[in-house]
Amino acid sequence: MTERTGCLWLADWPVVAARSRDDALLGVPVVVLERGLVRAASAEARADGVVPGLRRREAESRCPGLSVVEADERGEARAFEAVARAVEAIVARFELERPGLLLFPTRGPSRYFGGDAALVERVLAAVGEAGFTGARMGVADGRFAARLAARHPVVVPPGESVAFLAPCPVAVLGDTELAGLLAHLGLRTLGAFAALPAPAVLARFGVEGRRAHRLARGLDERPVAPVSPPPDLVEQHELDPPAERVDVAVFAGKRLADRLLERLAALGLTCTRVIVEAETEHGERWSRCWRHEAALTPAALAERVRWQLEGWLAHEGALTGGLTLLRLVPDEVVPASGRQLGFWGGDQAAADRADRALARVQGLLGPDAVVTPLPRGGRTPAERVGWVAWGEPRAPAHQTAHQTAAARSPAEQPAWPGTVPGPSPARVFEPPLPAELLDVRGRAVAVSSRGDPSAPPAALRCAALPGGGGEVEAWAGPWAHDLRWWDGRSRRRRALWQVIANGVACLVSVERGCAAVEAVYD
Amino acid sequence: MALVTLPPSRRIDDAARRARPVALAHERALPLAGELGALVPGARLRRGSVTTVEGGLGSGATSVMLRLVAAATTAGEWTAAVDLAGTLGGLAAGEAGVVLERFAVVRRVPPARWSTVVAALLDGVGLVVADVPVGLRAGDARRLVARARERGTVLVAVGPWPAEAALHLRAEGSVWRGLGRGAGLLADRALHVQVEGRGAAVRGTVDRLAEAG
Repeated sequence: MTERTGCLWLADWPVVAARSRDDALLGVPVVVLERGLVRAASAEARADGVVPGLRRREAESRCPGLSVVEADERGEARAFEAVARAVEAIVARFELERPGLLLFPTRGPSRYFGGDAALVERVLAAVGEAGFTGARMGVADGRFAARLAARHPVVVPPGESVAFLAPCPVAVLGDTELAGLLAHLGLRTLGAFAALPAPAVLARFGVEGRRAHRLARGLDERPVAPVSPPPDLVEQHELDPPAERVDVAVFAGKRLADRLLERLAALGLTCTRVIVEAETEHGERWSRCWRHEAALTPAALAERVRWQLEGWLAHEGALTGGLTLLRLVPDEVVPASGRQLGFWGGDQAAADRADRALARVQGLLGPDAVVTPLPRGGRTPAERVGWVAWGEPRAPAHQTAHQTAAARSPAEQPAWPGTVPGPSPARVFEPPLPAELLDVRGRAVAVSSRGDPSAPPAALRCAALPGGGGEVEAWAGPWAHDLRWWDGRSRRRRALWQVIANGVACLVSVERGCAAVEAVYD
Repeated sequence: MALVTLPPSRRIDDAARRARPVALAHERALPLAGELGALVPGARLRRGSVTTVEGGLGSGATSVMLRLVAAATTAGEWTAAVDLAGTLGGLAAGEAGVVLERFAVVRRVPPARWSTVVAALLDGVGLVVADVPVGLRAGDARRLVARARERGTVLVAVGPWPAEAALHLRAEGSVWRGLGRGAGLLADRALHVQVEGRGAAVRGTVDRLAEAG
């Protein structure tokens, strides 16, 4: 039996939090970026077609005059603490899913305030007094339905949640793969999906499908008898001297989180809901319940502890002293299904370590300092490689057929017409190094408009080469590149030579009588 | 393989003893295939060791370095290269056999932060290739050697390295084939590499490394 749940949702919370910190962002289109992708967009930006998931350039092109702000998780968590405090005055028990989303059972408060509608009014008024407009609240049977109800927002009468869920599209289940599959099969609404018999769904779609089917039928996500946590499974840590600074408390919190999950894992359990409690030196006690859709990983739990501690300690006037005690209580535990790693421990751990190290270097030097090569089409060696910043997706969302082909190994690519033939040079200079390609008489070699050289090259002079260049021992070319021949202003004509001078093989370009070393076959 | 008949009472114990897994050498080292593997003692790079690659522009040092990176990425390791000049050719890396998804290049490193960046990379990836900046202090280099040993990461230093190294590779130029006077194309080359190292054998000979394409 699902219980009546209310859901308070503040849309685009990262934007709201950014605006509360900086008044200049009010009323203008704002977008919050995380790792180069849009995480949240304000209403004005959405009106121009900016949606989460876009790259920064694309968002800026869709909405000129866009203000861009970097994601600040700590600021968001801190700001949300004010909302949580406002709701706390009205509702005794609630769970935080993430900054911006709050869920609580409504049976008790609703009876106290005389109905669901009255409760909604109270909560919205309290949040409004805290200074946050644009909050929406919905009430329905079960958490999934409540979250959807908050988007409308609507109060779904008891027992009518199934009818409320029926016309919703399958995309709201959150599983894009499953939603795509269901759409292919012709099941576009949750009602159609719910009408299937449960054993058939389990057989066809597996455990994930069964979970989604339960949600579509309006049942709760987990079966009614969860495992009750062992009573002594509480991790606490005394902070002596009392922690007044956030980082000290966060460090202790992280260790607590790791210990708690280790103990749970030893029992074959994992946690989905945890209560973070803190006591100050003056005896005040604060507690907050955090919930996560899937099982909490150590990183996710530590993150939530950090958000909560930031929220408490950063709020002026909230805590009158330093924290002396930090406690984590697992509220809801489920049997751990475990994640099957690769046979030898898998390379997921190695990939995570590499990702962290490279992200740290990006933090030191800037995001464009760490790049990875992506082959693409082009004629010269410089054009044939694109450098993608680490952390950004290697393949763009829309790819032409050639780009998809280019992303495979270079050996598998179809040949791009006009490429410089032969092996690729190991050192590519951008911009090319100035040089001189001279003939026997010491004059610069020029290439006519028909591609005929004025004289065979005899010497190559370049300051960067060992020995300053030398006599040309072997050479081939010129290969003519006529760039943008249709545009009178930007047309360029370039001739490329492969030259071996003084034992070093180089790719030399000649344009309008000036030579330059484009690449060295090192 | 000959079948040995053992007395029945000891058959199980002996079989168990023979079947016990030994510590696999490849877990402690990266295998090097091909001609470069034929030159290096043991055909592998020990994890946690330092290798130096020397040779000026045009000598072939970059190709040697890319082959080491290819060996690491095909073994499944993540690699990072610190490219001070910013001139590394990505396509040449792909042609040398590097798995480009597991290869990151760090560019525009200020010389003052070079040691910090390399130390951060040693913590996370399996093989780090770094261009040695001019004026690197011996103390910094020794600290990086210790860190590489501690983390089990292979460090390849390209350039003059002021601290100890287990293996020294020196590229001494190549002889190209295929290019004539006014005709032909660069087809393949023989890259001369001198290998010196501690360990199983010390080799000072110059070997030819024929490279296709």
